[in-house]
Amino acid sequence: MAAVVGHCINIESKLGVPTVPLIISEFYDQVKNHHTIQKGMPGLRVTYLIPPVWGKTAEQIRNDIVGKSPVSGKMIMEEIEENLIKPLTAEETKTGTIKPSVGPDSFTDTPDNLQRMFMEKRMTDYMPIILPTEEKVADMLKGTSRDPDEIVGRMAAHTAMPGDNNVEVFEHWSYTVKTVAVNAVMAGARPEYMPVLLAVASTGKEALSVSDNSFTEGLIINGPIRDEIGLNYGIGAMGPFSQANSTIGRAWSLLSINAGNCGRVGTTYMGVVGNPMNWNNVIIAENEEDSPWRPYHVRKGFKPSDSVVTLCEGWGVLSAKNSRYSVWEKEMDFSGTLKKIVADQDMLFGTIAVVSPPVANYMKQEGFDTVEKLTQFVAAPAGGKAPPPKAKIAPPPGQAKLPRREMPFFMRPPITIVVTGGANNNYWSYGGMACRQSVSIDEWR
Amino acid sequence: MRLLISGFVIAVLCLTLQWTSPAQGKISEEKITVLSPVGIPPEIQLKPMAPRLNTLSGKTVYLVNDGYLGTDILLGEMQDWFEANMPDVHTVYKEKGGGGFTAEDPALWAEIEEKADAVIMGMGH
Repeated sequence: MAAVVGHCINIESKLGVPTVPLIISEFYDQVKNHHTIQKGMPGLRVTYLIPPVWGKTAEQIRNDIVGKSPVSGKMIMEEIEENLIKPLTAEETKTGTIKPSVGPDSFTDTPDNLQRMFMEKRMTDYMPIILPTEEKVADMLKGTSRDPDEIVGRMAAHTAMPGDNNVEVFEHWSYTVKTVAVNAVMAGARPEYMPVLLAVASTGKEALSVSDNSFTEGLIINGPIRDEIGLNYGIGAMGPFSQANSTIGRAWSLLSINAGNCGRVGTTYMGVVGNPMNWNNVIIAENEEDSPWRPYHVRKGFKPSDSVVTLCEGWGVLSAKNSRYSVWEKEMDFSGTLKKIVADQDMLFGTIAVVSPPVANYMKQEGFDTVEKLTQFVAAPAGGKAPPPKAKIAPPPGQAKLPRREMPFFMRPPITIVVTGGANNNYWSYGGMACRQSVSIDEWR
Repeated sequence: MRLLISGFVIAVLCLTLQWTSPAQGKISEEKITVLSPVGIPPEIQLKPMAPRLNTLSGKTVYLVNDGYLGTDILLGEMQDWFEANMPDVHTVYKEKGGGGFTAEDPALWAEIEEKADAVIMGMGH
């Protein structure tokens, strides 16, 4: 939706061609009260449709478009014509610059009132925070040598990545080292976590994506930083069993809310059912020491002595597996089970396998002495044969003149395998996440 | 006498309460200053809308598919509607390229600038 709005605004303002974006009515508030304003064209003339459109037959859609708009009540096709020919109003021709205000730099009140205020202003995750006094923030800033006023990054509810040839669909907010420190205090983080938080913040990747997919985000952390800050990568690795594991993800979420304007339900957050992993995201410190393979960051080109954080996004780590009963060693076929999961479960945005050290060692015994070999095996078609070419989808009756978009519009989903956890049983977890960007933590010390 | 004793008792009670919980009253009143966690929003540049057409009659309207599922059917139906109801409107169906909803398609934008009088784009799903 935001893309259609963004493209139409550019076509109008840069090409001088009038447009009508077609958007389902569920997005009315978001478009009217946020997108068009933030993108500088509050008067953009949108025609809203009865949702959903996806999945309807041609006849159903035909009936919809000869009917009334669910927002304006006007006949849809007449409204489209009107949007293109009715002269612009004085309001619609306004230009200029608006400087948004974000309120004061500090707040003074009793602790109870401040807790309530932060929550009411949606500056929290609805959990109590550590109030960010000057003293606490100054202490947090000792965790980095960077200047507090240095701009760390830019973030939006859907952040445009450098080099993207994409229209900017959400406004990008900026934030300083000090802002990161304030949110880190609020989350209950310690100063020694700041290099990790700054490395994450420097990417601009939001922890609360706008997507209606209800994404969660994840971090894979490698290198000496893990022991320096007490990250847990033994029993309970993905759970809330150390201060670092529990607060790094929370700090990222708070930063996204406050410094990226993310997580505003109805405008910058549209996850259909939400995601319980958004509380703290998925924080994984790799158990490099007990893994039979090269660490994740080394596979990405870093040195073993580098401290690195990798950012991941998707539906989350969704399920768990153990070994099959009454079989031993290679018969347990962990790699075959993972292959079947990837083939069957259609993880649209990628697959992540979080493998405990014993299971990783069994996978190695099954013949996969590198993760690269294992990934190739898992991704290969069943039986070693390429899948038959997809049959051409016949267009619906009456639509033969239109080309049908057959290529999937998503990139080939990646497979990520990371080792963590204890050795007390043969368990592992998997889910739908893609890990794409790895950045140095060391440069933020 | 009774009044004197009552007053004495009340005074003792008040002193006792203050002695047993002196901090509570103090903490609830003490104010502190905390820093704002908010980042820096961008300035909003108001952009000019394109002038409207006098009429659609005789004009070329591009129906642009941004890629979301079902948009081809939607725009196909709209193209049929124009053909049946406004046959003097020339519609051109186009699929935006670039590899995703947000991707730019400079070639299409150049074509629109050159040939289109108006654009209808879908779909915000």
